[in-house]
Amino acid sequence: MNKLTDKFIWKSLKEGDLNAFSVLFETYYPQLHSYGLKISKDVTITEDTLQDFFLYIYEKRENLSDLDNIAPYLFTSYKRFLLNVIKKNKKIKYIDFTTETINDIQFTKEELIIEQETESFRNKNITKLLNKLPKRQKEVIYLKYYSGLKATEISEIMDINYQSVINTLHKAIKSLKEEISILKLFK
Amino acid sequence: MIKKEYNNVLDFLEDPSFKNWAEQKNASDINYWEFWIANNPEKKELIEKAKDLTLGISFNKEIVSSEKVAFEWNRLESKIKATKRAPKGKLKYLKQLGIAASITLLISLGFYFINNTSKITHTTNYGEILNIKLQDGSDVTLNSNSSLSYYKNKSRKVWLTGEAFFQVDKKLSTNAKFWVLTDDLSVEVYGTSFNVNTKKKKTEVFLEEGNIWLKLKNGVEKKMIPGNYISYSSKQEKILEDKNIYNPTLKTSWKDGSLLFENLTLQNALEKIEETYGYSIMFEDDYSKNVLITGAVPNTNIEICLKAIEKSVGVKISKKNNTLIVSKK
Repeated sequence: MNKLTDKFIWKSLKEGDLNAFSVLFETYYPQLHSYGLKISKDVTITEDTLQDFFLYIYEKRENLSDLDNIAPYLFTSYKRFLLNVIKKNKKIKYIDFTTETINDIQFTKEELIIEQETESFRNKNITKLLNKLPKRQKEVIYLKYYSGLKATEISEIMDINYQSVINTLHKAIKSLKEEISILKLFK
Repeated sequence: MIKKEYNNVLDFLEDPSFKNWAEQKNASDINYWEFWIANNPEKKELIEKAKDLTLGISFNKEIVSSEKVAFEWNRLESKIKATKRAPKGKLKYLKQLGIAASITLLISLGFYFINNTSKITHTTNYGEILNIKLQDGSDVTLNSNSSLSYYKNKSRKVWLTGEAFFQVDKKLSTNAKFWVLTDDLSVEVYGTSFNVNTKKKKTEVFLEEGNIWLKLKNGVEKKMIPGNYISYSSKQEKILEDKNIYNPTLKTSWKDGSLLFENLTLQNALEKIEETYGYSIMFEDDYSKNVLITGAVPNTNIEICLKAIEKSVGVKISKKNNTLIVSKK
């Protein structure tokens, strides 16, 4: 349903239409802002890189290829953009961080909504479980339930087929469910 | 909306009615899926998997405010203009928009202050959407060319002309009702979300969630359940339409900034544009009138909206004063 607008906005942007670009900005800025924060854990870095990233997109607009679906492209290229900046910053500071650790998404207990059970004890435990999941499972969970992307879009971003997206998600949810039911036994 | 074949998890995940069933949200979807599951026992495992994935994990999302986004856009826009001069025509257009917006703001502020002691009225222009938070905590999204009034301190009784989407807060302690009054009927509400549209000399009500009672001007009372859509005209003293709508976004997508068309003739689709932006429409040939259109267009940006329509169905739309002239390309 959104395809028509996506395709059209992208085309108009390539023609230099600032109006279309503002629609694009307002639509995706909030999602990319949360995504950037999860990766960098730093508001200033996130907001500065978002400015630079959108400016980069506008300046390079004539060289961009045609798109039917904007979200996967923006998520993928923004992440690459952000990781490059972080890596450069680290080099300057001579701190030895691999991209692995930067890349790792961490959830906080305030972010979790757990039905009918608001005890912080339980929230904390489930957050712990969630954060213990393998890196890719966490990222898929984030993109699906936090950014609200479709499985097909996530498959483009993670560069895996959608069946693997579904399997990864299901594996994560299943192990969470099992852990939660074990926790309940010790209530 | 409901697909015929469901062979893998994705087929379920991408069906909005399935999501409604999983979240137990919409009565007609719940009925549909209970029936479907009973008749397709071999799909049980697939359904369980899809349900798990649909419900997934709920997050308390930390999303930046729209003021912040606007601020960041201004920052970016000035950078773009500094590095490269934007085409002049577009700048002018933006400036006009700015002036128009400030005038609207002044007018609505004026209304607010003049009527401070008694009645409060919110009005919108063509191509403008307004989010209103009432004193009792209820949210109202007012569509273009519409107005909403209520008396100060009595914001649970509102008068509507035009179209609005309501999300009413439950007042459990007092069990206080919420009322929407139009020329044709009144809606009695306990806490729920629904859409009311009084354009075109009738009132249409679509219930998304919860329960409401309609009191029609001819004295008839009607209870509505989620998914119900009723259209009533007091002039004709009859119910024009009474049906179920399985895809609620068709009726409510305007509040999120887009108009959805699903296999509509361009003539029917452009009636919506007429309502939203206040242009009258003229067709130059039968092809443009009858060509079918499916897709979403923005409802607060006429330029993008028209270009999207032009490109998707191969017509040319030119603006002349207050008329849009549509012809085959």
